Amino acid sequence: MNYPKELMYTKDHEWLKEEDGVAVIGISEFAQDALGDVVFVNLPQEGDEVVAGDAFGDVESVKAVSDLLSPVTGTVCAVNEELLDSPELLNSDPYGAWIIKVENVTDKEELMDADAYEAFCAEEG
Amino acid sequence: MSELKRTPLYNAHVAAGATMVDFGGWEMPIQYPTGIVAEHLYTRQFCGIFDVSHMGRLIIEGPDRLKFLQHVLTSNAAALTLNKAQYCIIPNEKGCAVDDAYLYMFDEDSYLLVVNASNTDKDLAWFEPIVKNYDCRIRNITGETISIAVQGPESGKLLAKLAGVEEVTVPARNNLSILDLEGHRTWISRTGYTGEPIGYEIFLKNEDAEWAWNRLIELGAKPAGLGARDTLRMEAMLPLYGDEMGVDEDGAEMPIFALALARFAVSFDEAKGDFIGRAALEKQAAAQTAFREKRGTAADLEILPKRVRPIALMDRGVMRHGMAVYQNGEKIGYITSATMIPYFKTEGEGAEARLLEETGKRAIGIAYIKADVLTNSEVEVDVRGKRLKAVIPLKHVTNNVPPYVIPVIAHN
Repeated sequence: MNYPKELMYTKDHEWLKEEDGVAVIGISEFAQDALGDVVFVNLPQEGDEVVAGDAFGDVESVKAVSDLLSPVTGTVCAVNEELLDSPELLNSDPYGAWIIKVENVTDKEELMDADAYEAFCAEEG
Repeated sequence: MSELKRTPLYNAHVAAGATMVDFGGWEMPIQYPTGIVAEHLYTRQFCGIFDVSHMGRLIIEGPDRLKFLQHVLTSNAAALTLNKAQYCIIPNEKGCAVDDAYLYMFDEDSYLLVVNASNTDKDLAWFEPIVKNYDCRIRNITGETISIAVQGPESGKLLAKLAGVEEVTVPARNNLSILDLEGHRTWISRTGYTGEPIGYEIFLKNEDAEWAWNRLIELGAKPAGLGARDTLRMEAMLPLYGDEMGVDEDGAEMPIFALALARFAVSFDEAKGDFIGRAALEKQAAAQTAFREKRGTAADLEILPKRVRPIALMDRGVMRHGMAVYQNGEKIGYITSATMIPYFKTEGEGAEARLLEETGKRAIGIAYIKADVLTNSEVEVDVRGKRLKAVIPLKHVTNNVPPYVIPVIAHN
């Protein structure tokens, strides 16, 4: 299991990276492994407001559907539309396949660094 | 999970990295590391093997065995000859399903009845007061034997290699044979639960389990778990007890003739005499025929309110078990099984059809909806609060021309 050092993580297994004041958000390798084959994603639209801790979309695997919870409050400024046709990128490249980018960030969930997140995942098994 | 039962292949699944889950009281692999999509596609393209040792295997023996089976099953067991198998349902007096099963005649003196893992105890309890009235007995051999489903276009070739012959000598569907595969006695049945035109279920003694599993993998088969087993059977419109059979979302029992395949599972042959549920089933059969011929009446709807039908989502999304189905604003039923299912794009038709490298995926499944809904009609499904467009196609696949299952893609 891979936990890139440059990212921050939530307890809901999203990752977050800040680039020039914009929060880039995806799901962790642990999350994609637990989901199994991702076959569909529901994404918000550019301009939508997202709220820290609230669902901004969902990912569906063959087995089940899971909410995507936003680690930040702000405005969606980009959506990775490649995922609409190729949701399996979340399995094959979870840290490359970002899901949304959020600007005007006003609030954040409690985040963990890579070491803390790795320990958290080890506990969740 | 210490109280869960394990099959003799448990260690092989764990060693292969399978995700193990509780399934009907058994600790079974839901998927291997390659995942459900890859396992589904590999079965359609080459050969998937499934540990189905958890299913209940019951031997029916004694002089009255045929009389007993004629009374408790929907099929005409008298029509079953040596080395043949038949699909059947265990009915109750109301013409609803206690379970569904496969009946095999591997020898002249007994029958093998294979039932659902989670229903094995219930079925035995159901049979117990009935079998007392017959000079025969039921012996549960589930723990002494194993079963592997070997499914897909190449499955016959793999078994032939193990048998040291050109071709396994069970060419037709529902035919059986007993062969020594590299010295291991194997009971082979040309049956399956994937919709594959070529597929086998093999039965072996416990001590031969790992040998069979590992040899099949060496020859090119890949293990597939319960997840792929579910998507494969859904795509082929094969019912699963608990979803398409048993009780519905309101707790009401589902009539056996809600299933299209009841026509092949239920026999009203004279030889069967007055079997359990016969009177109710005859009424249901007439109602099903009326709906199939588009002349169902209100009286038919009383007998058969809903039928089990294929459903394909036209809008973007994924349907799941329990979602409501609407037509013209009225709720007409619900989704019994559905997910996003992968398929190979194909070229050519009939015997000429072949699979391309390119794959797709489609949100399809099975719905239990008002019996008079016409094929190809448009419906709506409530997908997490949104009404999405769907259709009721005739089928999801064509599988009557070996060796491939050919997807039938629904359009608006």
